Amino acid sequence: MGKVKIKNLKKSFGELEVLKDINLEVCEREVICIIGPSGSGKSTLLRCINALEVATSGTVEVDGNDITGAADKDINKYRQNIGMVFQQFNLFPHMTVLENISFAPVTLKLKSKQEANEKALKLLRRVDLEEKANVYPEQLSGGQQQRVAIARALAMDPDVMLFDEPTSALDPEMVGEVLNVMKKLAKEGMTMIVVTHEMGFAREVADRVIFIDDGFIVEQGPPQELFGAPKNERTINFLNMVL
Amino acid sequence: MSIPELVVQNWSRLLAGLAMTVELTIISLIIAGMLGLLFGLLSVSKKKSLRAIALVYVDIVRGTPLLVQAFFIYFGIPAALGIRLDANTAGIITLSLNAGGYLAEIFRGGIESINKGQMEAARSLGLPYSLAMTKVILPQAVRTMTPALINQCIITLKDTSILSIIGIQELTQTGRLIIANNYQAFEMWTIVAVMYFIIIMILTKISKRIERKMSYGKSEN
Ligand SMILES: Nc1ncnc2c1ncn2[C@@H]1O[C@H](COP(=O)(O)OP(=O)(O)OP(=O)(O)O)[C@@H](O)[C@H]1O
Ligand SMILES: [Mg+2]
Repeated sequence: MGKVKIKNLKKSFGELEVLKDINLEVCEREVICIIGPSGSGKSTLLRCINALEVATSGTVEVDGNDITGAADKDINKYRQNIGMVFQQFNLFPHMTVLENISFAPVTLKLKSKQEANEKALKLLRRVDLEEKANVYPEQLSGGQQQRVAIARALAMDPDVMLFDEPTSALDPEMVGEVLNVMKKLAKEGMTMIVVTHEMGFAREVADRVIFIDDGFIVEQGPPQELFGAPKNERTINFLNMVL
Repeated sequence: MSIPELVVQNWSRLLAGLAMTVELTIISLIIAGMLGLLFGLLSVSKKKSLRAIALVYVDIVRGTPLLVQAFFIYFGIPAALGIRLDANTAGIITLSLNAGGYLAEIFRGGIESINKGQMEAARSLGLPYSLAMTKVILPQAVRTMTPALINQCIITLKDTSILSIIGIQELTQTGRLIIANNYQAFEMWTIVAVMYFIIIMILTKISKRIERKMSYGKSEN
């Protein structure tokens, strides 16, 4: 069923029209990888899904809730079900790893402190960082920080996870550890929308790859099709450049 | 009389003056802290009208001398409204509004120094703006603001001496009154200056210690 439904989505920054007409439906348990050249609107599209950017027109529905037209209070509620992982991690530097993860559920009074901490430890085990529970983010490597950021998003028990180039800020030797966590998540059935330059990951994990250029979805399909036999000329050019 | 003799002779008056100075400073800074936080938050608001309110307030405070602000509040406003304002109240209002303006700027700077990703990360977890601000942004902002905050405390403490002009018996005014009796200007102003100096040095020392305690690390992302 449609977990995320995007209809005629347009987004402009002033004069600049970044998203021109995006239509996309993401099913439950589906893993979507979004690829495309720099500046094509990939981040903007992702950020429209959890209303970090306000769409200029069109609708975005997540779990049947219309994000685009919702009041602030409702958006806060909807966002609890939409995890987001950023390129720059954005961990809270004044909190320990454990506090980073339990912070939102506790602050929003969804869990008691003890429950949240127990859950946080479980999540840390899942991303293989149990021993780092009580250190501060700055004491972690980039790869470790990003894994904590994933755990932090998972602490809200989201239905959908958005990733915006989660490995682009990492040293090459740390990319693998983050991608592995994401692969595990995909296997467990998480609905994921991943903006990435990691074509290997897209090929292996994605159910569907979406190529965006100049504010449009130019081409989409299963990875073996899109990578193996791209039809659109722009897709072919892009893939020639990155592969 | 020598300086030590003058100190002994006027000790209780000087101490009372110093106490008044400290009291004015503390009360004013508490009020100014709340004003500064409020207007600092307004100045980073998404709403233009709220930002404009903060801007006007800060510009007025920065664009007029403290002495004129004191006169306006002590003489001007009571004259216009036909009310009576005692000097201490007027002094506290003046210092609070004045320091509040500068603190608003310090809060704005502190908040704006925090990476935008912090607010986005907090909001993406479902936190409302207010909680994201108070639990994520402000704790980090206050850390970066600490030196500027302490600097403003010292400035406000020194600014209390200007209030001697409307007759508040703080340390400076106390010195003037004593000199009016004994004519020992050099010795008395030395004593008063040393008293200001000592209390400000103590504050500086304490603040250095706080600063060191508050730093959880250098890098922030
Ligand atoms: N807040 C903003 N204000 C103005 N322009 C913006 C804003 N955010 C993005 N843009 C512009 O929108 C266009 C698309 O940006 P976006 O970040 O979505 O691209 P992207 O596909 O994610 O690129 P990259 O691969 O470099 O991350 C760019 O031209 C960018 O400069
Ligand atoms: Mg981007």
